Amino acid sequence: MDSWVISMMLGVSIFLGAIALFAFLWAIKNGQFDDENKFLNAAKFDGEDELNDAVNQERKKEELKRSYKPE
Amino acid sequence: MSNKVACTHCHLEFDESIMIKDEEYFFCCNGCQGVFHLLNEEGLESFYEKSGNITLTPPRENFEDSSNFNTNSFYDRFVKTNTDGFNEVSLIIEGIHCSACVWLNEKALHKMAGVIEANINFTNNKATIVWADNLVKLSQIIDMIRSIGYNAFAYDASIQESHANKERKSYYLKMAVAIFSSMNIMWIAVAQYAGYFTGMTGDVKTILNIAEGILATPVLFYSGWIFFRGAYYGLKTKVINMDLLVATGALLTYIYSIYITISQQGEAYFDSVSMIITFVLIGKFLEVLSKKNAADTLDIISKNIPSEVKIIKNGSITTCKLDDVEVGDTIVVSSGEKILLDGEIIQGDGSFDESSLTGESEPVYKNNGMNVVSGTLSIDADIQFRATKDFEHSTLSNLVTLLESAINKKPKIQQMANKLSEHFSSAILMLSFMTFTVWWLWPHSFETSFMIGISVILIACPCALALATPVATLVGLGLGASRGILFKEAAQLETMAKVDTLVLDKTGTITVGKPEVIKEHIYEDFDKEILYSVVKSSNHPVARGIAAYMKENNEKIKDTILDDFTQLPALGITATCRDEELLGGNKKLLIKNDIEIDFISDNTLFYFVVNKKVVAIYELRDKVKDGAKELVDSLRAKNIKTIMLTGDNEKIAKRVSFEVGIEEFLYEQTPQSKAEYINSLHVEAKTVVMVGDGINDILALASADIGIAMGSGSDIAVEVGDVVLLDDSLKSLGDAFKISRTTYGLIKQNLFISLGYNAITIPLAMAGYVIPLVAAISMSISSLLVVGNSMRIKYKWHRG
Repeated sequence: MDSWVISMMLGVSIFLGAIALFAFLWAIKNGQFDDENKFLNAAKFDGEDELNDAVNQERKKEELKRSYKPE
Repeated sequence: MSNKVACTHCHLEFDESIMIKDEEYFFCCNGCQGVFHLLNEEGLESFYEKSGNITLTPPRENFEDSSNFNTNSFYDRFVKTNTDGFNEVSLIIEGIHCSACVWLNEKALHKMAGVIEANINFTNNKATIVWADNLVKLSQIIDMIRSIGYNAFAYDASIQESHANKERKSYYLKMAVAIFSSMNIMWIAVAQYAGYFTGMTGDVKTILNIAEGILATPVLFYSGWIFFRGAYYGLKTKVINMDLLVATGALLTYIYSIYITISQQGEAYFDSVSMIITFVLIGKFLEVLSKKNAADTLDIISKNIPSEVKIIKNGSITTCKLDDVEVGDTIVVSSGEKILLDGEIIQGDGSFDESSLTGESEPVYKNNGMNVVSGTLSIDADIQFRATKDFEHSTLSNLVTLLESAINKKPKIQQMANKLSEHFSSAILMLSFMTFTVWWLWPHSFETSFMIGISVILIACPCALALATPVATLVGLGLGASRGILFKEAAQLETMAKVDTLVLDKTGTITVGKPEVIKEHIYEDFDKEILYSVVKSSNHPVARGIAAYMKENNEKIKDTILDDFTQLPALGITATCRDEELLGGNKKLLIKNDIEIDFISDNTLFYFVVNKKVVAIYELRDKVKDGAKELVDSLRAKNIKTIMLTGDNEKIAKRVSFEVGIEEFLYEQTPQSKAEYINSLHVEAKTVVMVGDGINDILALASADIGIAMGSGSDIAVEVGDVVLLDDSLKSLGDAFKISRTTYGLIKQNLFISLGYNAITIPLAMAGYVIPLVAAISMSISSLLVVGNSMRIKYKWHRG
């Protein structure tokens, strides 16, 4: 009983921590921390418009990816 | 009363009467007005809200045709195809002042059809743009950037640069994993140690061991991979390095701990595995972080060379690619332009700024038949010249090639810690193996002898050794930065401490670099305001020196309006004012106007003549900076030899070197000969610091072990230099030496501490008195000692 509780708690907490770690690793790989100034100023320019803009950009990219044929 | 109003777009303030009024808005120029309306139409007016009151550069209205961004040669050189098949280009955006500018550019580009990604780095203004070529052309993208008031030019995002960024990123990833795992292992270890002293059941211990093992695995094999790789390459070149020591130590402990976990007997040491890797990884990262990026330097240089020249072909002026100009072509240069090819003047005359060759700011007058050299600048000359060499063989192109190779071949002095660690590592590995054999043969059980063998490696603790240099240099870098001395690379602190020869450029380094008035002779009363306006209307350094002097003596001095003002190259200025005929210039100007005067001086003279009568003479001289003599003296006491190099003539070189107390000097030096001289010092096995400020010094700066640039020097010099003195003073130069020596002393102390620590603990470990648990704790203590000792530097500095 004892050891079951310990192993479960260890497993769950390490698993949760690992999720955060992987999110962080993804953010680094994605270049979110490449430019510290932009990163720090990002909060100033954050809003609904920016979110929409990002989504539209993402959609545009997907669309173009399907249709685009390099010469 | 005039009323100043700020431009709605750029926020520069001008008189209301000259502003363009557009409804309730004011604009300083059509450019600003255009941008303002464009942003409103595009729905981007919130830019003004975001940028606040920051002043922007008013947009330029004339650009060279953007269609050359679409040429095949441009695409070949700058445009890459990314993995999705889209085009990608790297640009430097000019005119970015604030984060709102970044926002505006990104937003405007995102709005364009076909632009997939526009990512601008605020720190270095570099942008990466990805687009679909069938929907939008690069020229349109460039036009968009220009239309909103910025400018863009392409640069070669060379392999080097992306490589450096990639390396840094991979360190971030590895450290994130290592720190996460180590911190988790630490709290599990708390349970382990608590259980060790108070007792716990075997199965709980096994669970804790397994958890630690799982966490330690990615640390060893993902984060620690660079140590295995380093050890492998080391062995390949038959060098036993620190990486090998770390890798073997960690790997053996890891395998042993797995064995313990399975056999459920004894103690596992996964915590030591992850701690060692994490600590040494951080030490390594600190070194990578402070490495200079050579790629950035080369970008700046090529950015300064325009890609086109104007040539006369079939009687009309056309633009021509720089590389396509042939020997014999006629090239047109107007005032303010850079000369990009070597040649001979066939029409026109005027003065040229040859400071890129000589370092002297005094303009040189040239006329028909004289040679112009590439890399110099036309100040007021509109000339045509015949190219005598193509670009590939020109002085400028030569300089760039030499510079590139000098940057790439920069001498590197091996750091003491690296030298030491080679011997250290092989000694420890051998001792550990010996300990294991002796104990096993003595006879003890395999486990006991194996554990004792490992404890030798663990206690030898490469952590303190690995941290000794990076931590000390980091403190040194901070100390320099707070005094306006920027070391671009940490390793340079150590190199600089070993320097035995200091080479100084004269103009701008020892001297201020511009003539200053040292004496004023007034023969007759005259209206000072007239002279002030005469000298103020010229850009000649002598005139500027006098203007500065007059302003200094009388702050309220104002200029009046001159009629009929002409500058005579290499002579001076003529003007009329209130029906008085004015002359201001050198002796040649007086002779030309048949005015005789007897005045002899070593200094540069400026005569001021009103109605053919000399009313004042100003003596000017390029003054030696404060503290120059003290610096040379104090360096002599430290056994550092000082040598002066100058592009100037012998007489001036002699005078300045005598004034400062430098015994050895070389005069009439070209950029190449300066670099050659430094290389000849290298042949004599000297370690050389070169200090300079101009374009003519960059080759020498790149060739020297340490190149120190003055902060107010040319952009390229600042870029090429390893150390930058922001306040241009020679006191900072002295401080730079002092900081580097203090830091080096600290590195030596740190290495001594970590080695001394080992000298005590290794015999104990070999005798079997140290169990790995104690070894792991002592590892942290020795690392802390090293870090603590480094922090002492600030205290040490204040004491002297």
